[in-house]
Amino acid sequence: MKTSTFKHGIHVPHNKMTEHSPLVDCPAPNTVYIPLAQHIGKPAKPCVAAGDKVKAGTLVGCADGFVSANVFSSVSGTVKCIERRKTPTGNCDHVVIENDGLYETEYLPPVADRSRDCILARLKDAGIVGMGGAGFPSHIKYAPKTPVDCFIINAAECEPFITCDCRLLIEHTEDVLHGADILAGLLGLDRFYIGIEDNKPQAIGEIERVCREYKIPATVVVCKSKYPQGAEKQLIYSVTKRKVPTGGLPADVGVVVGNVHTAYSVYEAVEKNIPLFRRAMTVTGDISEPKNIWVRTGTLYSDCVAFCGGIPSDSVKTVSGGPMMGFALDDTTYSVTKTSGALLFLNGTDANTQKPQPCINCGKCAGACPMKLMPMYIDAYTLRGDYGAAKRYGAMNCIECGCCAFTCPAKRPIVQSVKLAKRKIKEMGL
Amino acid sequence: MKQTVSASPHITNPKNSTRRIMIDVLIALAPCLIAAIVFYGYHVVINLVVCLIFCFGTELLYGLIISKNFTKSGVKQSSVFDLSFAVTAVILTLNLPSVMPVNAWGMNAVNANGAIVFSFDTVVLCALGSIFAIALVKMLFGGIGRNFANPACTGRVFLFIAFGAAGAFNVSSSLFGDMATTGATWLGDKGAVGGSMLLDMFLGNTATAAVGETCVIAVLLGYIYLSVRRVIDPRVPLITVASLALFVFLFDIVPSGIRGSQMFYRTVAHLLSGGLLFGSVFMATDYATSPNTVAGKAIFAVGIGLITALIRAFGNFPEGFSFALLIMNLVVPLLDKYIIPKPFGYVKPVKEKKEKKSKNADGAGGEKAVKS
Repeated sequence: MKTSTFKHGIHVPHNKMTEHSPLVDCPAPNTVYIPLAQHIGKPAKPCVAAGDKVKAGTLVGCADGFVSANVFSSVSGTVKCIERRKTPTGNCDHVVIENDGLYETEYLPPVADRSRDCILARLKDAGIVGMGGAGFPSHIKYAPKTPVDCFIINAAECEPFITCDCRLLIEHTEDVLHGADILAGLLGLDRFYIGIEDNKPQAIGEIERVCREYKIPATVVVCKSKYPQGAEKQLIYSVTKRKVPTGGLPADVGVVVGNVHTAYSVYEAVEKNIPLFRRAMTVTGDISEPKNIWVRTGTLYSDCVAFCGGIPSDSVKTVSGGPMMGFALDDTTYSVTKTSGALLFLNGTDANTQKPQPCINCGKCAGACPMKLMPMYIDAYTLRGDYGAAKRYGAMNCIECGCCAFTCPAKRPIVQSVKLAKRKIKEMGL
Repeated sequence: MKQTVSASPHITNPKNSTRRIMIDVLIALAPCLIAAIVFYGYHVVINLVVCLIFCFGTELLYGLIISKNFTKSGVKQSSVFDLSFAVTAVILTLNLPSVMPVNAWGMNAVNANGAIVFSFDTVVLCALGSIFAIALVKMLFGGIGRNFANPACTGRVFLFIAFGAAGAFNVSSSLFGDMATTGATWLGDKGAVGGSMLLDMFLGNTATAAVGETCVIAVLLGYIYLSVRRVIDPRVPLITVASLALFVFLFDIVPSGIRGSQMFYRTVAHLLSGGLLFGSVFMATDYATSPNTVAGKAIFAVGIGLITALIRAFGNFPEGFSFALLIMNLVVPLLDKYIIPKPFGYVKPVKEKKEKKSKNADGAGGEKAVKS
């Protein structure tokens, strides 16, 4: 099969050990902690108080401001309190709900009509955000100001270990594709692309079958299995051969990229009136039973771990997300959010625990960088405190994919340097 | 349970390590080393052992002194375990003649035929070269990856300049009469070249200034291995060799008035003799002292070819690769400073200026153009 791809990048071991494990329901715990900041932008305002009765699907946090999103209860029960707890990216208020175990539901009313405005309003009401990790509110993203002529569903899932999007595509192909069709409609398009890596033949087969059966106007673009194929700019290049300008957005080249799970949630919100309080997540790596699970937001990671049989004692790293771009966590007392795609455990042999050595100037990082930057100089100048030079070598264009650090023979934490450089450059206004 | 928190990525390529790269280079150097031993005998082994010991010792001692930690833990933290000292030692050995008698010293054991059996002069020079290469060129500038010039090459040039007149590099010296088959290197006299002579240069001969340059096949094996393992950029040696061929043809062959098939033969002889092939594969591709961009590497390689050709055609020395390499090593920081690859999706600023004007004219989008 002919595959399309981008230049540079790396080949990482796929480790898709949960590829064939179907999505199973993870039972909700007795108490859920629902974060009010599950998206980019302003955290939602709590609209319940301690003692209130809620059902699964009850609004507990109202969108506060333009870039914000609604947050819903994921179980039925009683609100215990509103508590400040930690998230992987900082602290925020969490609505603590005592689960009564009845799972009564309170869904949204059916959409009035299928007009663009109605559906956009539904995305807003249902609290739909980009579920690939960024968590950008969808009702803003799918109402672009500039004309868009191409919509791509990002099914590349190039991060090792993660398989939840792949399982969604296999088990809920129709729903995902219908959801994507709705999104394409919002953008005024009558067709859309699906960019998928060639290591998911089963999903590709399912998509093609469903497209034929239901006459869904989708074009499947099979991409080479290469990291970071699923990075927005790289996927756009692979699928359309358009280059997003440096510092620009996909909209600058008339493209919008959507996530598989977002499309699924859109379908559920529009057709089944279910607001977003549940998602598919991969729990994998060094754990007794790696699984793909349906999990309610606010469930603690530790509850997911218990459902998957617990972690062995030699585990050294807990990662929220994939091994290349995920956040390392200090323990498992974090809540599942709308954007938690994976929970990964690594033992000492898998995780990078080696001490960094001096850079030998081999240039392998520059050869791996999909943005064609020079990571070794960004690293060196950042350590020296010369952020202007770091910027000259392209620090601001870095997508933090981790190719450089993965391939570095001296095991240098290059991405960490770049992140620091970016922050300093912004702070200093260079 | 204690969990490690660090920045992404959380996995790295286990097959990639500094030591693995150094081992690959050592494997690639093995054919040259074997060829050197075959053609020059046990002298090469003695030199190698001396270079290894002194390179290892210098780097270890330097690290211990700098860290002021002379305990076992200091040794464990030493940089010697990345094996880069061994690469320097082997390349230095292969860059030196097998025997380097210093006329003033004469600390050599000579057998009944007048041939040198054991040369203590050579041992001293090898040790000096190693210490010079590791301490002065590599460690003083910050160790691996920070050296401004190729340590082995600098060590060789140091010995060549300091002891050349004392006889150490005079390969046509009478003492070598029984060891050299064709006397001096071809670059010394640049006489007529025949097909059998070229074949000799290709397969191996003892008419080389340095032992590593003896067998072209061995160098090619190393080149193929390093290219397959993706340790080096295979284009760099090719560009170096091609540019040398072009420039010696222009500066040496054409002005000398030689015509006919000799023009071709002599150009090929230029390529096959001297340190060019060995150096372009193993030294011009040294990470620390070559540019990091493709364009920079190309300029670097062409520069080596050009300067080598200039030295060979007009210089005082018959062979100029080491000098060419050192000179180009000094240009590397400049090349890396001014050649920065365009990032993915880069938009030419010239184009933007035009846009700015036109957009300013109609009053829309001007702000965006200024921002970018």
